[in-house]
Amino acid sequence: MYGMLKRAIFFTLLAGLWQLLFWLGIWPEYVLPSPVSVCKTLARGFQDQSLLIGVAISMKRIAIGYGISLGVGIFVGLLIGRFRIFEDTLGSLISGLQTLPTICWLPLSLLWFGLNDRAIIFLVFMGAVLSIATGTDSGVKNVPPLYIRAAKTMGAKKWKLYLEVIIPAALPHIIIGMKQGWSFAWRSLMAGELLIVCLGLGHLLMIGRELNDMSQVIAVMMVIILIGILVDRLFFMKVERHIRERWGLVKS
Amino acid sequence: MSESVGVDNLIELDYVKIDGGQGTSKANSAKRDLCIQHVSKSFQSKNGSVYVLEDINLEINQGEFVCLVGPSGCGKTTLMNIVAGLEKADSGDVWANGRRIQGAGPDRVVIFQEAALFPWLNVIKNVEFGLKLKGISGRERRNIALEYLKMVHLTKFQNSHIHELSGGMKQRVAIARALAMNPEMLLMDEPFSALDAQTRWILHYELQNIWMKTKKTILFVTHNIREAVCLADRIFILSTSPGRIKKEFAIDLPRPRDDNDVNVAEYSTRIMQELKAEIDKVVRCEMDADSCVECDIKCTSVEPAKTDIGGGI
Repeated sequence: MYGMLKRAIFFTLLAGLWQLLFWLGIWPEYVLPSPVSVCKTLARGFQDQSLLIGVAISMKRIAIGYGISLGVGIFVGLLIGRFRIFEDTLGSLISGLQTLPTICWLPLSLLWFGLNDRAIIFLVFMGAVLSIATGTDSGVKNVPPLYIRAAKTMGAKKWKLYLEVIIPAALPHIIIGMKQGWSFAWRSLMAGELLIVCLGLGHLLMIGRELNDMSQVIAVMMVIILIGILVDRLFFMKVERHIRERWGLVKS
Repeated sequence: MSESVGVDNLIELDYVKIDGGQGTSKANSAKRDLCIQHVSKSFQSKNGSVYVLEDINLEINQGEFVCLVGPSGCGKTTLMNIVAGLEKADSGDVWANGRRIQGAGPDRVVIFQEAALFPWLNVIKNVEFGLKLKGISGRERRNIALEYLKMVHLTKFQNSHIHELSGGMKQRVAIARALAMNPEMLLMDEPFSALDAQTRWILHYELQNIWMKTKKTILFVTHNIREAVCLADRIFILSTSPGRIKKEFAIDLPRPRDDNDVNVAEYSTRIMQELKAEIDKVVRCEMDADSCVECDIKCTSVEPAKTDIGGGI
């Protein structure tokens, strides 16, 4: 609670400083809009639903792209984590690809899929899949062999061993990979939307630039930050906390 | 061996080799729950292959409580893993309930030194784990699990997380989890050796009560002779490098036995004398590894047992 108070005071002061700079009139309004006008733009965006539509379109893209990368990433991570042959081949390919910034896939994505949704979804997918795969891989490698032996003597075999033991035991690492994958995916999505004209939050950002409407640019940036924080707080932090409690890593 | 006073009901059998040809017949093994025949196992080291187990023969009857005792490094855990199906013997066969064993299976559940409970499941779901694999439906599963949790006196903790339990409680949950599967036999690999003396004493009592109630066949590995005497119907002493069965003792004392009972203490002393030569051998090895030729083999075979933890999908 005390932390919340500190944060509230800090951000109020920050907004005050911003307003003060605006009143001093050093920069013209199209360079530095006032916090009030940004708030107005935000309110207008929600009223005429242009922001809501942008959010909905962006969320749909990331849901599809991230969903696919979750399935593929966990599957590939399991293969790399459990089988030497995949570790030596696929594993080295993945660690190589990880050095490539996701936006570098854009030209290839455009040539493969054209100027459309699928090109952006592909970017989202490439952003998340590698982190999820490596997270799963390290999770699988850290499963205590004792768990597997115990499960085997109780009759766990083949896919049941994976479903009931290996994946749950690897979950703490998988979640870390998912979290990192999410933030990469979110960035790639915004980068893609900035460059491909097809609605979404990134596109609204570009419209703001084209109309010379700085308050819209800042308003959209705020929405992007807000969504990032919300997903982190509402999903990842809760899941991580839950796991830490289960595993006995934190006093609940 | 000299007879000690007050231990006249100690029946000591010199170990007799079981004849493989006759012992194998299925008719003969009907009431036998476990037949270990000519099992040998060796590991590769720099100085060639080292026998960890050499020609082990063992028969355990249904409902019998048998302890394998030996100094560290004698291969008793390896033997246990072979019976469990977690490791393969180089030669020889293991028959469980008249069938040759092929890999691990729910008819022979292992209880390990560490409880091996799954931290992502709470206590009751851990006990249900094996039942779920068997495909038993939700409600029935819960009832069976509760029944066995009751047997180990932990129903109050059914919704607890694993890390909230003490070491002794964890082992009791592990025992409940194993029993819930209704296996042919329990394989217990030094299950109480990481616990403090008092907890161990309680669990010895509890395990005996459970055994008397369920009449499961139990193969129990330990290096603690007192523990073995307290629990077992028969005790097999294993020697080191190579691991061979050296002696067999039958313990004929009323149950439940107490660790501190005079008779238990007497038996333990007798068996201790038997083991002394073996322990000395190990000590000589550890103290003077360079000059000791006979244990050169043992000391170089430090690589851990290669255990198949299951790669293939």
